[in-house]
Amino acid sequence: MAKADQRFGQRDGSDQNFDYMFKLLIIGNSSVGKTSFLFRYADDTFNNSFVSTVGIDFKVKTVYRNDKRVKLQIWDTAGQERYRTITTAYYRGAMGFILMYDITNEESFNAVQDWATQIKTYSWDNAQVILAGNKCDMDDERVVPPEKGRHLAEQLGFEYYETSAKENINVRQVFERLVDIICVKMSERVDTDPAIVTGGAKNTRLTDKPPQLPQNCC
Amino acid sequence: MRERGRQRLRSSNSDSRLVEIPDEHSLAIHGRGVHLPQTAPTVVQPPLTGEKLYRFSTLELPDLPVAMTDTMFGSGNDQWICPNDRQLALRAKLQTGWSVHTYQTERQRKSQSLQKQELDIILSVIRRAEQLDQVEQHRIGRLVERLENMCRSAVGNGLSQCLLCGEVLGLLGAPSVLCQDCSKKVCTKCGVETVSSQRRLQWLCKICSERREVWKRSGAWFYKALPKHVRPMKERAIESRMSTEERSDPKIARSLPVNFTYKWAQSKVVSSESEDSDSEVSVCSGEPKAFTSDFQPRRGSESSGGSSLAPVQPSISLSLAVLSESHSSLASEHSSLPPAPEDEDTDHSRLSHTPPALSRTGSLRSSAASQQSDGPAAAAAGDQPPGDEDLDRAFAGGATAPPASKRDEEPDVEGYDSDDSTTLGTLDFSLLYDQENNALHCTINKAKLPIPRYRKGLKPMDHNGLSDPYVKLHLLPGASKANKLRTKTLRNTLNPVWSETLTYYGITDEDMVRKTLRISVCDEDKFRHNEFIGETRIPLKKLKPNQTKNFYNCLEKQLPIDKTDDKSLEERGRIMISLKYSSQKSALVVGIVRCAHLAAMDANGFSDPYVKTYLKPDENKKSKHKTAVKKKTLNPEFNEEFFYDIKYADLTKKTLEVTVWDYDIGKSNDFIGGVSLGINANGERLKHWFDCLKNKDKKIERWHTLTNELPGSGMND
Repeated sequence: MAKADQRFGQRDGSDQNFDYMFKLLIIGNSSVGKTSFLFRYADDTFNNSFVSTVGIDFKVKTVYRNDKRVKLQIWDTAGQERYRTITTAYYRGAMGFILMYDITNEESFNAVQDWATQIKTYSWDNAQVILAGNKCDMDDERVVPPEKGRHLAEQLGFEYYETSAKENINVRQVFERLVDIICVKMSERVDTDPAIVTGGAKNTRLTDKPPQLPQNCC
Repeated sequence: MRERGRQRLRSSNSDSRLVEIPDEHSLAIHGRGVHLPQTAPTVVQPPLTGEKLYRFSTLELPDLPVAMTDTMFGSGNDQWICPNDRQLALRAKLQTGWSVHTYQTERQRKSQSLQKQELDIILSVIRRAEQLDQVEQHRIGRLVERLENMCRSAVGNGLSQCLLCGEVLGLLGAPSVLCQDCSKKVCTKCGVETVSSQRRLQWLCKICSERREVWKRSGAWFYKALPKHVRPMKERAIESRMSTEERSDPKIARSLPVNFTYKWAQSKVVSSESEDSDSEVSVCSGEPKAFTSDFQPRRGSESSGGSSLAPVQPSISLSLAVLSESHSSLASEHSSLPPAPEDEDTDHSRLSHTPPALSRTGSLRSSAASQQSDGPAAAAAGDQPPGDEDLDRAFAGGATAPPASKRDEEPDVEGYDSDDSTTLGTLDFSLLYDQENNALHCTINKAKLPIPRYRKGLKPMDHNGLSDPYVKLHLLPGASKANKLRTKTLRNTLNPVWSETLTYYGITDEDMVRKTLRISVCDEDKFRHNEFIGETRIPLKKLKPNQTKNFYNCLEKQLPIDKTDDKSLEERGRIMISLKYSSQKSALVVGIVRCAHLAAMDANGFSDPYVKTYLKPDENKKSKHKTAVKKKTLNPEFNEEFFYDIKYADLTKKTLEVTVWDYDIGKSNDFIGGVSLGINANGERLKHWFDCLKNKDKKIERWHTLTNELPGSGMND
């Protein structure tokens, strides 16, 4: 029974009761608070001590968006350079990114451009990105003013939030916004450009259908 | 996209050493002693194929190696070259300086090698992700399969007929719409109205609508192609191949289930065996003999013991072999790696499944009779005829079963866990309309069912993970007992094989146009209500007379239409009532004129109707009146009048309840339908009452539709 209970506790991971599955990735310099951000969102916990993430990790959370259940597989990446090979491997499947810097750490902000480049390089071309300036609870030590963050986000074409995993500010909002953006992209893709569906199907086994059913030419 | 990825790889890494990444084993091995680039610069990473890579790459995209390659193994191989070709190329392309990267590369070199613990952690994450991915692949596979099933069951040409249901379209036929995606015509029932992004209304056929949905659900919209997926079909394909091989084996062939129409005998077994109220298969009280005699000899030859087990058993063991082979990679990972979370899973499934589902093939009446007493395992052992080659095979299969059964069930766990939208299992059946004899033969072959705990998110606690499934048939619209047939219940199986033929008699050509066969699979449960698993519906107009049509349908949730169908007003029948208030006699004269199209409640396809009337509230319990019983008719003519002595003023407070019953000798009479007229009624019923009040001494005749709800309590006396 213990096993059963345990399994029930982990239901989130094995739960199949969802409509869409989105893969998200959190990136940014080491110690900007990516892991804390994810823990706050997924488990609603916060730990002040810093433990560097080894390579990669992920958590699963199912959210509701309108009447749809969206299962999020959220990848937390190590900010450290030495894991870069591993982490960049996961850019490819990610539909959304949270690019994070630390408002009390100039270097982490300066690296945003580089991270954005990484995204462009390794991700699928229509991945959605939100820029998050974390640790906004530590206003005393702030070195990156919000305007700077906003300005950079505009330049890069990302949406921008200031967040705090510690004080639980804008954490849920960032994820929900990202899910929203992806959902919008999804319906745009499928509903306005059905050619991608019908055309794409040509390359898949989906075309194993009665021959009298022709494809749209595209 | 993939192409581009590969090209990029080629152009930037002209020295091909960069591309490889070890699979889990070698990564672990190398990680242990060999600090990757620095301490052993001469170590050449074992080149591995991309194929191996996919196995554990979480995102299942073929270009993954590109990303994972260069920094870790590429630039590490030669410590003194800072950025490699690829990095330079990238930077040139993106016009970012490379000084920063040089700095990073240097730092990175210092701390590049991954410790064994680190690798272990990463690998455990990767494996966890891989697990999730496998489940996901099965999910997508089911989506794809479902879509293909939809495509396959489309019967029309999309021009003059509805593409999906084949209904004739056009001026004289059904209204049609044009599907936006495939430009084919469908009837409005098979079309889905959607709003395009420009807020314009547009129609899609159900297939194209589903295809769009599959693209959303699978993530294909993002990756521009369907992600890797595993279709439930494959497992089935293996099984069916196995069973055809066996079919060709003459030794076994004799014990194969025989799909003949021995339904009458069958129904009797069922109804005597089962305590379930569904089993009132009143049809079997009709004219059973002709069929039983036809069936008898076969039955004798087959009842020589549970030899029907033989064909089932080997197919399990064989497919086990195939399946466990496909799992071997996973298994070997298990052995080489520390205990992982998924061990729980497998343990769990081992616990929760009783010995491999030795589903009785269900071709035998005799086995049905003995079924109650013995559990599946006992039956397997006890029924084996000794000294038989089949037996050896069966036992061989049985011997390997315990370790393998885990493997066998596993794909099912993933394959049939229920995503709401996807399959609740599948049902294999065939239908034949015998026009000459007005019979509809429904042969229920077999089903594949989901594991119960996935059905409703049930905790697996007290459940053995299996089901006791049976199949119910209804002809819709209409909800009388005569309308309901069921198979026997098979115990403890998710792969039930019934091979039973149930037959509806008295099916007319008109029925074939109007009616829909509902086939539902339920789980018999002694302690709780029988649980509904899933259903599928076949409009009978899809069938051609005297031509067997095979179906392999996904089960769906109970369709909400069901209720309205069952209550379907027309289907209870109609009644003509006359009302007159006679001021001379100071009485309400209620005339029961006739009924039409009454529901058939008896096995012979008719009813023996009579009508009762009450005027409520009924202080003295004297208001009951009954007509005579009209035998064996659905359109009885009564022409009887009843008098209720009542003051005109009191009439407004009264309600007239009229109910139609089917008279049965020896059992309680069946309720066919009823109607209430009065101030609280509505529509035609209210109007009739009003007109009666307004027009004293004038007889007003009206038709009313019977509903299957008892108008009030106490109607059953």
